[in-house]
Amino acid sequence: MPFDSRRDAEGESDTTFPVSRRGVLSAAGAGATMSLAGCSMLGGGGGSDTIKIGGVYLLSGLAEALGAGSAAAAKLAVKDINDNGGINGKDVEIQVRDHGKDPQGQMRSLVQEWGADAMIGLTSSGVTLNSGPTIEQLGVPFTLTDIGTPYVTEHDTDKYGDYYNGDGKAAGVPNLFRTNSNTSHMTYAIAKFISENYGGSGTLRIANIGPDYAYGQQCWTYVQAYLDGLGVDYEVVASEFPELGASNMTPQINSVLSGDPDLVFTSFWAGDTVTFTSQAAEQGLFEQVDDVFDTIGADPTNFAALGDTMPEGVHYSGWYWPGSYGTEADQNFIDMYKNEYEGSSEVSVAYPTFTGGSTWAAVKIYKAVMENTGGTNSDDLISEMEGFTYEEDPRGSVTIDPDSHQASASCVIGTSSRDVDVPYDGVGQANPKTYKLDRSTALDLLEGSGLPPGM
Amino acid sequence: MNVSFTSRLRGRDITAWALVVAAAFLAVAPFLLPGYDTSLLTKTLIFALFAAAFNLLYGYTGLLSFGHAMFIAASGYTVAKVIQVVAPALHFDSTFGGVSPLATWVLAVVLGVLVAGIIAVFIGYLSVRLEEIYFAIITLAFSMAIFVIAQQDTIGALMGDTFTNGSDGLTFVMGDVNLFGFQFKLVDLLDPVAYYFLTLIVFALGMYALWRIVRSPFGMACQAIRENPERASALGINVRYHQWMAFIVSGLFSGLAGAIFIPLQMNVNPDYAHWTFSAEPVIMTVIGGPYTFLGPVIGAFTYEYLRDAISNFAILEQYWQFSFGVLLLVVVLFFNNGVAGGLQWLVARIEEVRDGENS
Repeated sequence: MPFDSRRDAEGESDTTFPVSRRGVLSAAGAGATMSLAGCSMLGGGGGSDTIKIGGVYLLSGLAEALGAGSAAAAKLAVKDINDNGGINGKDVEIQVRDHGKDPQGQMRSLVQEWGADAMIGLTSSGVTLNSGPTIEQLGVPFTLTDIGTPYVTEHDTDKYGDYYNGDGKAAGVPNLFRTNSNTSHMTYAIAKFISENYGGSGTLRIANIGPDYAYGQQCWTYVQAYLDGLGVDYEVVASEFPELGASNMTPQINSVLSGDPDLVFTSFWAGDTVTFTSQAAEQGLFEQVDDVFDTIGADPTNFAALGDTMPEGVHYSGWYWPGSYGTEADQNFIDMYKNEYEGSSEVSVAYPTFTGGSTWAAVKIYKAVMENTGGTNSDDLISEMEGFTYEEDPRGSVTIDPDSHQASASCVIGTSSRDVDVPYDGVGQANPKTYKLDRSTALDLLEGSGLPPGM
Repeated sequence: MNVSFTSRLRGRDITAWALVVAAAFLAVAPFLLPGYDTSLLTKTLIFALFAAAFNLLYGYTGLLSFGHAMFIAASGYTVAKVIQVVAPALHFDSTFGGVSPLATWVLAVVLGVLVAGIIAVFIGYLSVRLEEIYFAIITLAFSMAIFVIAQQDTIGALMGDTFTNGSDGLTFVMGDVNLFGFQFKLVDLLDPVAYYFLTLIVFALGMYALWRIVRSPFGMACQAIRENPERASALGINVRYHQWMAFIVSGLFSGLAGAIFIPLQMNVNPDYAHWTFSAEPVIMTVIGGPYTFLGPVIGAFTYEYLRDAISNFAILEQYWQFSFGVLLLVVVLFFNNGVAGGLQWLVARIEEVRDGENS
C-alpha cells in the first residue's frame, strides 16, 4: 500500500520544529537538489571537436509522424555531411528532442547544456511564436523547417505592430530563419490554383473546414484575403473548425455538405488530415464537390495511412513533394532517404515527407555558412545566412531573404492519383506544380487585409 | 529559529544540518551553477511552491483538486496583461525609470494573486459542496472551462478584439532593469541570477506562510476534516467553511506560483489551464508524499530533475514518457508516502544503526 495516512496523520500532530521523521524531508530536498543538479550538469558544455546541431520537433501525439519525418531528413543530411568530410574537418552531431510540455526548456537544454551551435525545428506555429524571446536570447541561429505562421518572418513592426508588445502581428526575431514556405505562400498557391482553374465560371461556393486553433483560423483568413486580392468571385457557404486532434469530424463535415459547396478548403495536417479525409470519404463529400484543397496535407505518411480511402483528383498541397522539381539534388535526396530508411522503424514510410526538403536544406545551409565563415560564431553565421543562396536544394535554388529571413522556397500542389509510382500503397501527386511568391506581389494582393506577407 | 532547532544543531541532528545545507546551497546556487541549471532550479522552486499550495487542499484538507492549473492561468494572463497593457498605460517607464520592469513585475504579481484569489472565492464556494471524486471532477470542469475561454478568446470576441489571443497565447519581453548603475535583464536566460533571487525570496516567504498556516488552528482543523469530516463537524468545526477557506488560500498561493512562473516562461497560453497541467502538482505531490509538509517540495525536485536527467540520455529521451512513467511507477508502488516516505524509512534505519552502535 503506497500510503499510510493514519500513521502519517498522527505524525502531523507534532507542532515543534521538524522532528526527525518530518525533518528527513529537508535532507531529501538538499540531497535531491545537489545530486540531481549535479546530474543535470553531466551533459553540459559543447566540445570544440564536433559541430552540434540541435533539433526540437513534435515527436509524440498528433504529429509524431510529422516530427519523425523531419528528424529523419535532418539526420540523413548530417550523415551525408559526415560521409563527405564533415564541416571544417569536424564531425557533426545532431540531437533531436520532443517538444514535450516545455519546448523552450528543450531549446535551452540543447543550447545551454548540450552546447548546440545551431538549431532546427519546430512543429507548432504557436510554440514558435511563444518561443521568440527565448530563441532571441539564446542567440544561436535557429532555422524553422515546418512552421506555417507568417508572423515569425515579418519584421515590419511599423506597419503590422509588434507581436511581443501585444499590439501586432510582426514577430520577426534576428536569429530566426525559415526554409519552408509559410502559410501566406501556401494559401496564395491555393487561391491562385482556384483562380486559374475554377475562376470565371460564376460565383464559386466555397466552404472551409480546418483545425480549431490559430493555424486553422489563420489559413482560412489568408486564403480569403488572397482570393479577394486575385479577384475571384466567391461566397462562403460554410466554415467549420473541429477540435485539433478530433476523432469525430462527422458533424462538421455534415455542416459543410449542407452548404452545398463547389470547393472545400481545409488546413488539416498529419493525423487530422487522415481523420478528415477518411470521414469525408465515408460521407461522400468528395463525390459531391468539385475539388478539395488541403494546405499541408500532401504527405506520403498521410497517403500511406489512407491507402485506398484517399480519393483521386483532389488537390492537396505541401512544402515539398519528392520528384516535383526535376533536379539532380532532389533525386539524390530521395535515393539516399530510401536507402537509409528502408525497413527502418524510425519512419512510417521510407519516402521523404513534406518537410523533407526544408529540413535537409536547413542542415546543408548550416554546413555552407559554417564553411564560409570558418567557424560557428553565431553572429557570423547569422550575417552569412542573410541573403545566402543554396543552389543544391532539392526544391531548386533558394535564397534566404536578408530582411525577413524567409527562404524563397516554392510550395507544390499536385493531383492525387494512383498512377504515380510511390513506394507505398496509396496515392501520389500527379502533375505537381510549384508556386513561388515574392513580397511585393503578396503586399499587393493582401492590400487592405492587415495581414503581413511574412516574406 | 527556536530552541528545538538550535538544540538539534548542537546534537548534530541530520535534519537540522540538512536544512542549513539546503538553505546555504540555495543562497549560493546561482554562483555555482551554469545559467540553464539556475533556471531549472528557479522553475523547480516555483513548482515546489505550487505543489505545496495544492497540497494544502489535498494532503491537509483531503480534497483532491484536478483543476489547480486554473490559478496558474488566471494569474498568468493577468501578469501578461499587466506587462503588455497596464504598465505601459500607467506610464511605468517614465514613472519608475530604470526599475520599471521591477515595478511592473511587482504589480503583476500582486494583481495575479488577486485575480487567482477572486476565482478561488467563486469556484471554491461552488466546488466544496461536493466531495471526493465529484470534487475532483468539478474542479477539472472549471479549469477546462477557463481553458476553453482562453483558447476561444471568448473575452476578445465579446470585446470585438483579441484578449487572450487564442491558442497562441500572449508572449512578452520583461525588459532591462537599471539599478544603481547596474543594467541587467530581469529575466535573463543566459545569466538568470536576478530572477532566481526574486523567486527564492517569494518561495521562502510563501513556504514560510504555508508552514505557519498548516501549523495554525486553521491547519489543524483542516487535518481533522481530512481524517474524519463527520467527527470534525461533531467537534464544532464548520467543515464546508474550512474547506472553502482552504480552497481560497490554496488558490492564492497557486496564483503566486503562477505569477512568478509566467514571467520566467515569457509566455502564457491556454495549455496552462489544461487538465494535463493540473496533473503536474498532483503527480509531484504523490511522488513526494502528500502527508508531510515538504513532501510536495521533494516531489517537485524529483519530477523536474528526473525529467531533465532523462533529456540528457538520448535513448531515454527518445522514449521519455515511457522512461518517466516507469520511474514514477517504481516510486508509487514501492515507496510508502512517496519519496519523502522512502527517505524517512532510510533515515530511520540509519538512526537505528547509529543508536545501536552508540548503545
